Amino acid sequence: MVTRAEREASERFVQRYRESRVDAVRAVEQAVIGGDWGANGYTTVAQADRLGSLLELGPGVVVLDVGAGRGWPGLYLAATTGCSVVSADVPVEGLRLARARAADAGVADRSWSVNASARTLPFRAAAFGAVIHTDVLC
Amino acid sequence: MLRAFRLLLRPGGRTGFYTIHTSPGLDERLRQRAHRSGPWAVAAAHQPGELLRRAGYVDVAEFDVTDEFRTTARLWIEQWDTHRDALIELHGEADFASRQALRRTELQAIEEGLLCRSLVVGRRPG
Repeated sequence: MVTRAEREASERFVQRYRESRVDAVRAVEQAVIGGDWGANGYTTVAQADRLGSLLELGPGVVVLDVGAGRGWPGLYLAATTGCSVVSADVPVEGLRLARARAADAGVADRSWSVNASARTLPFRAAAFGAVIHTDVLC
Repeated sequence: MLRAFRLLLRPGGRTGFYTIHTSPGLDERLRQRAHRSGPWAVAAAHQPGELLRRAGYVDVAEFDVTDEFRTTARLWIEQWDTHRDALIELHGEADFASRQALRRTELQAIEEGLLCRSLVVGRRPG
């Protein structure tokens, strides 16, 4: 079941995913986050690296990234650590952008996108080596 | 949700997440203010490490990243102001102003010690 607040948040993100990634947007993200992954929150590249290190991500580990949006930071961690990643989120617009980014980052064969809410994830038990989320649970 | 995530982990698998939450020890009035100042879902009654333990994880560790949160929140505001014209062209004047106002409210709550951000990790018993 999706709450009203979750639905409203999802609608806000859909709108944002439709916005063009103009040069100014990329410049802002580079200055704030330290990268160009479509991030619009508070997780910096250095913090994503720290998360990957603490979870000991690497080849053979399948990571579930809940509320993945455009694929940040799951796709980044796949690119930098060699892990595989399943990006799950409600707005399809974000997941489409994530698929494109996975191809650009060279991790399309180690990444999948699933249109699902964090409350109703359609996976079998014990399917993942790690589960991550950034500012989804507040 | 944390319990559901635990079941998705193989035994010994790890979870890790960044989360924005209210500072510990706030009275009810300040806690409500923190809720209004932060992201829409800042509502948990317990601190994140405790939530993870209650959900059945072990080897739980919690790292305070509020200083970085403050820096990043300030940078979003400054960078949006720096690129103001291009972003207004993209988002419109009203949306630009609305987003900046929300960010300023959040930054003020961080600076007043109402909002924190933590990195929390834990492991499914295996």
